Amino acid sequence: MITFIQFLITGLRLGSVYALIALGYTMVYGIIKLINFAHGDFIMVGGYTLYFTIPVMMRLGLPGWTAVILAVIVCACVGMLVELLAYRPVRKKGTNLTALITAIAMSFVLENLAQAIPAIGPDPRVPYTLFSKTVTIGGVSISTATFITIIVSALVMIGLYLFTQKTRIGRAMRCVSEDKQAAVLMGINVNRTIIITFAIGAGLAAVAALMYIAQYPKLYTTMGATLGIYAFVAAVLGGIGSLPGAMLGGMVIGIIQSATNTYISSSMSDTFVYLILIIVLMIKPAGILGKNVGEKV
Amino acid sequence: MKKKKLISLFMAAGMALSLAACGSSSSSEAAASAPASEASAAVSAAGSEAASGDFAGTITLGVIGPMTGTLAVYGTHISNGVELAVEQINADGGVSIGGEAYALATETKDDQGDSTECLNAMNALISDGIGLVVGSATSGCTSAITSVANSEGVVLITPSGTADALTTEMDYVFRTCFKDSFQGQLAAKYAADNGYTKVGIVYCSADTYSAGLRDAFSASCAELGVNVVAEESVATMTDVDYTNQFNKMVSAGAELVFIPFYYDVTGPYLVPQARQAGFSGVLLGCDGVDNTETTIPDGADLSVYNDFYFINHYAEDLAATDVSSCFVSSFKDKYGESPNNFDALGYDAVLVYKKAMEAAGSYAAADVQAALADTSVVYEIASGKFSFDETGTPIKSGVLMGYSYNEGDAAVTKSSIQTLEVE
Repeated sequence: MITFIQFLITGLRLGSVYALIALGYTMVYGIIKLINFAHGDFIMVGGYTLYFTIPVMMRLGLPGWTAVILAVIVCACVGMLVELLAYRPVRKKGTNLTALITAIAMSFVLENLAQAIPAIGPDPRVPYTLFSKTVTIGGVSISTATFITIIVSALVMIGLYLFTQKTRIGRAMRCVSEDKQAAVLMGINVNRTIIITFAIGAGLAAVAALMYIAQYPKLYTTMGATLGIYAFVAAVLGGIGSLPGAMLGGMVIGIIQSATNTYISSSMSDTFVYLILIIVLMIKPAGILGKNVGEKV
Repeated sequence: MKKKKLISLFMAAGMALSLAACGSSSSSEAAASAPASEASAAVSAAGSEAASGDFAGTITLGVIGPMTGTLAVYGTHISNGVELAVEQINADGGVSIGGEAYALATETKDDQGDSTECLNAMNALISDGIGLVVGSATSGCTSAITSVANSEGVVLITPSGTADALTTEMDYVFRTCFKDSFQGQLAAKYAADNGYTKVGIVYCSADTYSAGLRDAFSASCAELGVNVVAEESVATMTDVDYTNQFNKMVSAGAELVFIPFYYDVTGPYLVPQARQAGFSGVLLGCDGVDNTETTIPDGADLSVYNDFYFINHYAEDLAATDVSSCFVSSFKDKYGESPNNFDALGYDAVLVYKKAMEAAGSYAAADVQAALADTSVVYEIASGKFSFDETGTPIKSGVLMGYSYNEGDAAVTKSSIQTLEVE
């Protein structure tokens, strides 16, 4: 029983991080049908921002996690810049394929740009660890970071869902994703809506970065690549373009990884993740929640 | 300006003095006998003369290691050790081959800890006409260049590539460290000697280093009657989550867990997660764990690093030969810090080359290889004394080191515990 609970908790905390990142993929895909491969690298940007700002915040007498506000701002700016400088010009002229290649290129640009900055460089950094206390309840030991990750992710997801359903900008986002031309006719500023989507997606990546480094405190410039792949798989599994789908997909992948580690073989976790992805896509090509077009953002 | 020049002159003189002091050459004796006021000037003159005029030529050693990337600590330290040895040898009259003195120089290439980059670096050195190479740091990278070394007839001494398969009989690959099967034996012996009967293993089955150590450790455990109660693997050497693996160690009742990983995962991930999963026993790693202190995050619960030991090549305070105490003092003078494993092993590689070149009376790769292949030669180096076995691996001892958390100054300290030997 203890093993079961422990496995579930490990799965949920991995899954929450994946879900937060997957939200960014799914939002951008929903609105401009672009798989933003640079999204994983926004986590790296967020991570390094936190690396530099957490000590500053603590010196100012504030709790270290407040640095996430700066990280969200930096990430949102990077997200908007990427859209303005790379994606928008390409979208005007090129096809979906050129946009996809631009996204892959952007990912490499961000990674190498980070390496070229002397303060970051190619060597890995170990950031300040927040929430490092461990609590043991009835034989199950859980770190505070795990608690906070699961709770914060849940709150962010609920908040984002309400945002897209209830607010003006949220409704505009859903409108653009459903029919761009009709949205223009309705007087919605499409370009502004897209750039806000990028800002929110990248901001979520900064929150994910905080959760991630609290548990896995190491930063390197290519860290976004692997994380991004899992999150992308999560988005596809849940049904890309669907917000609840991304959350579900993230959780499913985290739990599959943890279950494989615990009950089958620890070196097979990736095999099972992709195996399940293939099976799901064979049965439901649009992903678990993919058919629900009305939910698209 | 003049003042600056004067200061730098004095510093150079001081350095030459400290470097020469370790050797037994005539120049240092001359310095010792000269009046104190003129001593530094005399040595610096002798030094500069030796550097410019006395040498018949320069022998360039190739150096390959991860100078950047996740394992950058390894490469930079090997390079520090190599540079110190080269500097000392040159200050001490160089390498004497056939009555002529040759200066040493180095050409350093960065492999970023990547096998492909390592092979590129090796090919670049070979095309530059270099026949004697020190490198690379990890077994994975070194295994990518051993076949080139053998087919091109280039001597390769790896300071820290420990995988068993790297050196084979009668070839061009040698090393200054012990090999994995020996490390695994030492680890198992430590477990048996300290009365542990139930041990676990967490390793990476896809990695040469990790899997090799696991094989050696479990084989020795079987011989020594230590029971391996649980064994778990991870997919890659850079995995970030070890919680489930350690949950299993706890439920299997392991008292000691063997963890053949590198420092880049032990500090931030493995050790804290093992403790979080409720494992309170001993964590025993190998030489890859050295330098974990550089990857411990600020703000982490430092008490988790208690009972965390590793097998190592070299410990400053356990090495007792003249060469090693001289190495330690001159290293501290030059770099302002205590030398670690990689400093010592890189330094040793150069010393081994020097002795082999002098014995061969040549610096041609084939002659040096023949001299190194002589198993009767005893090398006196910073990490002790050894002679090569027939494959080109030293027969030597290891040391046990450990991390412990000191509540008083709220820091994790690394200390050497004992010398380990296999009968």
